[in-house]
Amino acid sequence: MKNTDRLMNIIQRCLNGSIIDEEQFDSEHVTQGIRRVVKKYAIQLDRSHVVNLDDALADRVWSAALDFLVECGIFCLDTGRVIQFTHDEIEHILAEAPSEVQLGSGVDAVREQYRCVEDTHPPLNMGGPVGTPVSEQLFLPVMLSYVQEPNVDVVCPATLSTVAGSEIRTRSPLEIMAAWEECDWMMQVLQRAERPGMAINCVQISVSDVGFLSAISRNGYRPTDMHTLGMISELKVNFEQLNKVAHTIYQGGIIDPFANPIYGGLGGGVEGIAVLLTAEMVALNLVYMAVCHGSSPTHPFNFNDTGREIMQATSLSLQALARNCHLMTNMTVSPVGGPGTKTLLYECAAYTTMCTVSGISRILGPRSACGTVQDHVSGLEARFNGQVAQAAAQLNRGQADEIVQRALTFYEDLQDKKPVGKPFQEVYDLKTIQPSREWVKCYDEVLAEVSGWGLPVH
Amino acid sequence: MNPESVKQELSEALRNGLTAEAEQLTQQALDNGMDPLEIVQRILVPTLTDVGQRFQNFEIYLPELMMAGESAERVTALLEETMLKAGRPTVSFGTIILGQVEGDIHDIGRNIVSILLKSHGFKVIDLGRDVAASAFLDAAHKEKADIIGLSALMTTALPAQRRTIHLFDEVGVRNQFKLIIGGGATTQGWADEIGADGYAPDAASAVDLCKKLLDQPSPK
Repeated sequence: MKNTDRLMNIIQRCLNGSIIDEEQFDSEHVTQGIRRVVKKYAIQLDRSHVVNLDDALADRVWSAALDFLVECGIFCLDTGRVIQFTHDEIEHILAEAPSEVQLGSGVDAVREQYRCVEDTHPPLNMGGPVGTPVSEQLFLPVMLSYVQEPNVDVVCPATLSTVAGSEIRTRSPLEIMAAWEECDWMMQVLQRAERPGMAINCVQISVSDVGFLSAISRNGYRPTDMHTLGMISELKVNFEQLNKVAHTIYQGGIIDPFANPIYGGLGGGVEGIAVLLTAEMVALNLVYMAVCHGSSPTHPFNFNDTGREIMQATSLSLQALARNCHLMTNMTVSPVGGPGTKTLLYECAAYTTMCTVSGISRILGPRSACGTVQDHVSGLEARFNGQVAQAAAQLNRGQADEIVQRALTFYEDLQDKKPVGKPFQEVYDLKTIQPSREWVKCYDEVLAEVSGWGLPVH
Repeated sequence: MNPESVKQELSEALRNGLTAEAEQLTQQALDNGMDPLEIVQRILVPTLTDVGQRFQNFEIYLPELMMAGESAERVTALLEETMLKAGRPTVSFGTIILGQVEGDIHDIGRNIVSILLKSHGFKVIDLGRDVAASAFLDAAHKEKADIIGLSALMTTALPAQRRTIHLFDEVGVRNQFKLIIGGGATTQGWADEIGADGYAPDAASAVDLCKKLLDQPSPK
């Protein structure tokens, strides 16, 4: 089916699906639906591991997720209707999904591809402080600190906190101006780093569709960049997001959306979130026509995704996906730790190792200090993440599980303490854009430590 | 049935979200002469505080919390009706307007706060997601609110929190209401910077904060 035909089909389902009250969708479709399939497919994790070692369980999670998604559907907030797909339709759409894609252009292009569980080909490394506010005066040096790292394959801009000194207002001309400032400055960063063709995850500043539609047009972001948008938790879409999809299809861009289920929320605990995450990744393909499928399951109090339970659910879900379809998946590391802290690096070691052996195609971030503290980001953590991803691709799941569990012992009790570290200007020299001696020492020490645990970092 | 066993059974019904049973037990307690305020203070509040704590510890999840919250809301309505009939003031500890500020489309965290506040006897008006500053102002007047809770999960929504507080200032009603903030993107530092009256890092502390603010002498 042509992309525009498929888009029309989705829009028609938004307009003609069955009408339901939103609260009823949450409780009956999502919560009761997840409970039904968790029981029906006997989804029960072995809590002694973080990285899933049980293939049969992963396959049951897959069956549960598809069964759930067929019954539940996706809620369209603008029409109050449910978008539904049959099991056969889902299977057919997934069979036609791409298993590889080129990101970027020229010598800076990289190829993202589907990875199986324990794939020895490492995932791509997308460096950048996903969703973290950064001041205008630091935007260029911060982003250069990521793009200059040789093991960063593609980049995600920070979120500008102001535009020309003014606070940004969603759906106003200020959002359009900020989107263009982000785009112009990212192009400058790529030029300065001599990597002009590197793919950018865009438009970060644009929550609504206006900035997105404006900056992804003539002389703005390019078809070789990844155009990002979000699904609303849980399993909800609106026309604003679908406008972005429609625009990207006509622009020829790479659709790279995300869905972040809330741990302890409508899906419940570890088992429920594993099923919900799997279903949401599939839903990204069904309604957003995703090429790449992203997530960062969120802890409701700490806002990180590096805790034990979320990693258990994530590992199981990623393996369910990697074993049963060829979707390209990506995960954002959201550690509680910030620049200058060892906590941040231990969290990256655990999360990226878990994701790599579980079959992700791309690791994102890190979103240091959970992305909540302005300017608390730096490129060194993305270098570390890339090294971990390269090394973890040489491990099996059992070896990875040991490393993840070991790393957890260093930060598990710190998650609610928010060790947000230092701002960029205190961990990097702003003239040379190089990390401080202290931050490098910290990095070297953790690198040596994880190497001693059996993670073959070089 | 003795008061202790009513207390225990009602608490159990609330915990399990058994609304019909909870209403029946409440009516039974009232028929037996139990004071509505005593039901709130000795049964409703401690039970829901414990339910909230169990949610914080992940012993239960949001669906269970929502069910308990809905049951508590129905019981509170029954008690209010009884008190109004008796010509007594209602059991509400105050009116709170909640909403996700403009540009933020998230729901779940605010829903948790709303449930916990309701279960602690507050009247909560939830304006939902993506709420304009002017809508907060209108609702504050209309509902004669005590507290306005501005939530932001996304960092891009932070300026809208400042804008909303600023609007209350500009129209000269800032001192009539307590404006508090919360949500994943917020911090105490941000609350201080934008002049909020309080900051709650999570749902349980939002309840504590509202109780504390309403105990304080009002500048009205």
